Parts: sequence; C-alpha cells; structure tokens
Amino acid sequence: MSDDLQAVNPRARLFRTILSVYGIGIYIFLFAPIGVLILLSFNSSTVVGFPMAGFTTDWYARLSHDTVILNALEKSLIVAFWVTVLSTVIGTMASFPLVRANIKNRGGVRVFITLPIMMPGLLIGVAILVLATNVLHIQPSLETAIIGQTVLATPFVILVVSSRLEALDRNLERAAADLGASAPQRILFVVLPLIYPGIIAGALIALTLSLDEFVVTNFIIGADQTLPIYIYNQLKFGITPEVNALATLMLLGTLAVAGVTLGALRLVKVLASVTTKTNRLKEPASAEV
Amino acid sequence: MTVASYARNTGGGPGESEPRRADVSDERRDWRQFVGFVPAAILFGVFFIAPLGLIVVYSFWVTKNYELVPAFTTNNYKTILTTSTYVRTFGKTVLMAFLATLTALALAFPFCYWLVRYVPKRMQRVGLLLVILPFWTSYLLRVYAWVAILGDNGAINSLLKALGLTNGPIRLFLYDNPGVFIVLVYLYFPFAALTLYASLERFDWRLLHAAVDLGATPMRALANTLLPQMRLAMVTAGIFVFIPILGEYLAPAAIGGTHGVMMGNLVANFFSGYLLPLGSAASVLIALVIFIVLIVFRRSLDTKDIYV
Repeated sequence: MSDDLQAVNPRARLFRTILSVYGIGIYIFLFAPIGVLILLSFNSSTVVGFPMAGFTTDWYARLSHDTVILNALEKSLIVAFWVTVLSTVIGTMASFPLVRANIKNRGGVRVFITLPIMMPGLLIGVAILVLATNVLHIQPSLETAIIGQTVLATPFVILVVSSRLEALDRNLERAAADLGASAPQRILFVVLPLIYPGIIAGALIALTLSLDEFVVTNFIIGADQTLPIYIYNQLKFGITPEVNALATLMLLGTLAVAGVTLGALRLVKVLASVTTKTNRLKEPASAEV
Repeated sequence: MTVASYARNTGGGPGESEPRRADVSDERRDWRQFVGFVPAAILFGVFFIAPLGLIVVYSFWVTKNYELVPAFTTNNYKTILTTSTYVRTFGKTVLMAFLATLTALALAFPFCYWLVRYVPKRMQRVGLLLVILPFWTSYLLRVYAWVAILGDNGAINSLLKALGLTNGPIRLFLYDNPGVFIVLVYLYFPFAALTLYASLERFDWRLLHAAVDLGATPMRALANTLLPQMRLAMVTAGIFVFIPILGEYLAPAAIGGTHGVMMGNLVANFFSGYLLPLGSAASVLIALVIFIVLIVFRRSLDTKDIYV
C-alpha cells in the first residue's frame, strides 16, 4: 500500500526510515524502565543502581523464604479471585439489558457505566473509605478492597462482553425459540457458548487489573497487604533488589496468565473448527440416511 | 475490517441495537428485561455513586474537635480557592495534565502512523501488544523504575560517567516537575496510542492517494484528508490521558519530591490528616474539572471503540 506512494515521491523512503527509527525509539522509551528493573534484580549489590556489581539470583531465592511476601501473595490471589468472579458475573449480567433492553438513551447509560474507569482512582478510593468508616462503620479490610476493585473492574467486563453480545446474530436465538428452547435454555446453550471469548477476555482484564491495583486498594485495604501494597510499603525505605526481583516475577506471572488464557482460547477455537468440519463432513451422510 | 465491525459502523447489523417490531410489542414496558442491571446497579449505587455523593455533602460540612458536624458552609471551597499554594497547585495540575496530554498525543500520532502504514499487518498486532505490555507490569514499579533511570546512581548518570562526560552525578529532572512530566507521559502514552491506532487503522488511505494525484504535496494531503478524520480520535485519546493525570498522586510523590506536588497529593494528605471537609472540597473541584471536560467533549466520546 505504501509502495505506490513511494513511486510518487522518492523522499518517502527517507520519511519511512525516519519513522521506523522513531517507532523503535518509542519502544525503547516504553521498555527502558522495565528493562532496568529486570536487570537490577540480578545485581549483586544491595544498592539499586549502576554500574552493576555482579550477577546473582540470590534475590529470587530470598523471595521464596520471605513469609511476609508469601502472605501478601496469598492475599493478592484471594482478592483477585473474588474480584474476577464478582465483576465477571455482574458485568456479564449487565451486558444483556445494556445491549438488548428497550432503553431510550443507550449512549448515556454506556457513558455512565464507563464513569468508574474515567474517575481517577484516588477519588474512588477516598470516597469508599469515607463511606465505609463514617457511614457503614466497617473497618477497611480485604472485603472492602474486593468491593472497591470490583467497582473498577466491572465496567471493563461490561464493555468487552456487550460488544461481543452486540455482534451476536439474534436470529440464532429466534431459531432456538422456534425449536422450543425456553429463555434460560437459550442463554445457556446458545448465547453463552457464543459470547464466552468476550467473557473470558473480560475476566482476564479484571484479574490482571486486580493483581496490580494500588491506588484505590491502598486507601481501603486497612492493615492487610496485597503484593502492590507490600511493594509500596517497602519502597518508602527505598527501592531494593528484592522488590525488583518480585516485580520481575509478577510480570512473568501476569504474562503467563494472559498467555495461557489466550492459548487456551485459541485451542478451543481450533477444536471447535475441527468439530464443525467433521460435523459438516458427516452431514451429507446423515442426509442420505 | 470484519463484517461485524462494518455492520456496527453502519448502524444496523446482526446484533441490532434496535429491536424488531415484532419483539418490541413483547418487550416494551417489561421490567424483566432490566433484571440483569440489578447487581450492577447495587454495586455502582452503593459503592460508587453513594460514596461520591457523600464526598460532595462532606465538602459543605465542618469539623469541630475532630468530629464531622453537619453544616452548610462554602468555607472549605473558599479556603482552597484563596490559599495561594492550593490555587497554584491546582493550576499547575491542570497545566501539567494538559501539557502531558499534548505530548503523549504528539508522540503517539507518528508512532501509530508508522505502525499502520509501514509495519506488516501481521506484525501490527504484536506491535500493539508490545504497547500494552507495560500495563502488565506493576504500576508502582513502572513509576519507581524511573528513579533507577534518572537518579544519581541511575542508568543515565552512569552512562554519562562511563562516557567520561561528567564526573559527579547531575540532577536529571528528578525530584522536580520535569521528572513528573516525563513519567506521566510515559504512563499514559499507551492510552493515546491505542485510541489513535484504532482510528488510523480504519482510515481509507486511497483518499491520501487521491489527494496526491490531484497535486497536493504529501504533507498537505495528510493535513487535508487524514487530520480532519482524526480529530475525534484525538479528542477521545486526549480525554483518556488528561482525566487520570488530574488525580495522579503516586508519580508526583515518588518522582516530584516536594517541588512536584499535584492536586492528588493534596487530596491524599487532607484525608490522611483527617481534614475530611477540605479533602472533599478538593476532590469535588477535581471532579468538577473532569465533568466540564466530559460535557464539553461529550459528542466525541465514542467509548465503544476504545477498549474493544
């Protein structure tokens, strides 16, 4: 597509080179901090900085013995589990009326739903804190953190699932209804199997959001610590190689979760296409009978 | 472009937002169609709208002997709007958010142009994924990693020293506003890039060819065909960068030191100092700026395209 423009303008080649260098520069800008972080997690000096004193994996070994970190990891996983479940269920349920109900101002409802995404986390955090302590008189705890993160994650689930639902052909459900399927049956056997990639994508966003959430959680988690809160408390005393090692592992963890989920999705897709193909092959045979 | 997205763009389509006439008679005034909203309504009502409403109410109250007392006073707002440090911080926050947004957009546009025009289609997805990838590292550490880059023992200083350009460490924007600016642009660049990419990818490049065929210089062709169509995406991207920066408090605290304090830090300090009414008033002022931005640009907010 760009080649014909090059024929028109020979300078386009130069333009292209400059842009490519620029693009790579942007990637360097994006990844330099992460690269530095990973690099310094292998630094044998306790001072986080350059030049590196030597190579070591001690910091990683130390992590596995640190009970505080393991405890924070456990809390993180508990919170992430509940946030993922709650926001996926609530978000998926809300997607149906959002796409299908007879709403006059659908755009308005949509904007309203995205408000928790737009609102700075700071405001949501202090607001929930004030509500919990001054009105509901409950101590900030893991439960309040779960609720706060669910407020943040649910809009993402709604956006992803509703877009999938919108692309769904409603005639499939009409056909199922003609064949005698009740409303719950239509949802369970027709709609959900068709929109599940959207639901899984939404759950994945909720999961990764929860594992990394700091701004809101910091205000409403009370005395408990998730991993980001633990890291923050450590950073008050300065950045340590141990924290860098932890961050590197967390990055690997999130990548693994995303990779496995995407891989599983692809596998399911492949399997599904294989089954439809074999079914299609069988069809003429069954027609003959 | 997939069939589905084409259908969505043209209005109708397989999912039909508008129900068919036959369905309408059944569905109209049927409350059951809204049942799905109930859990979300409870969640957002109790833990999003109510707390924010509470903040608005508290911003008019006063504290006496560390107790919140119901009252109706605008003194909290007056205090913030007449104390010069607060006003300056407020102004600086808005200016900082504005400049960081412009910079992020200016950096993202040529980048996305490159990605869409010169990177093979298959690689584009990888390229885009790489832009989102930093989101999967801890937000905290992405901020603090900049201390390891800009700091006295940081990557840049050691590089300069190794090259023999400096002897002692030099202060590189750290613990001041420029450092905060760099980190904010870094943090929110992906938002801008994603939105602009989505719009650029849909652009019909034949328009550009047509303009060049008709004698426009390539730059003029870009300015007259591409840019007008990008306006909407620019505004959307801008909003999605501008708004979160207004409430940012970690980056200014970690990178900015005492010079780089922003509105978010004030709010956080008010609340941790139990100055609820003042903190609430400051929060309401931030929210007010956000609402003004949203209302002014509401037509441009095509939220559907951003995350999907």
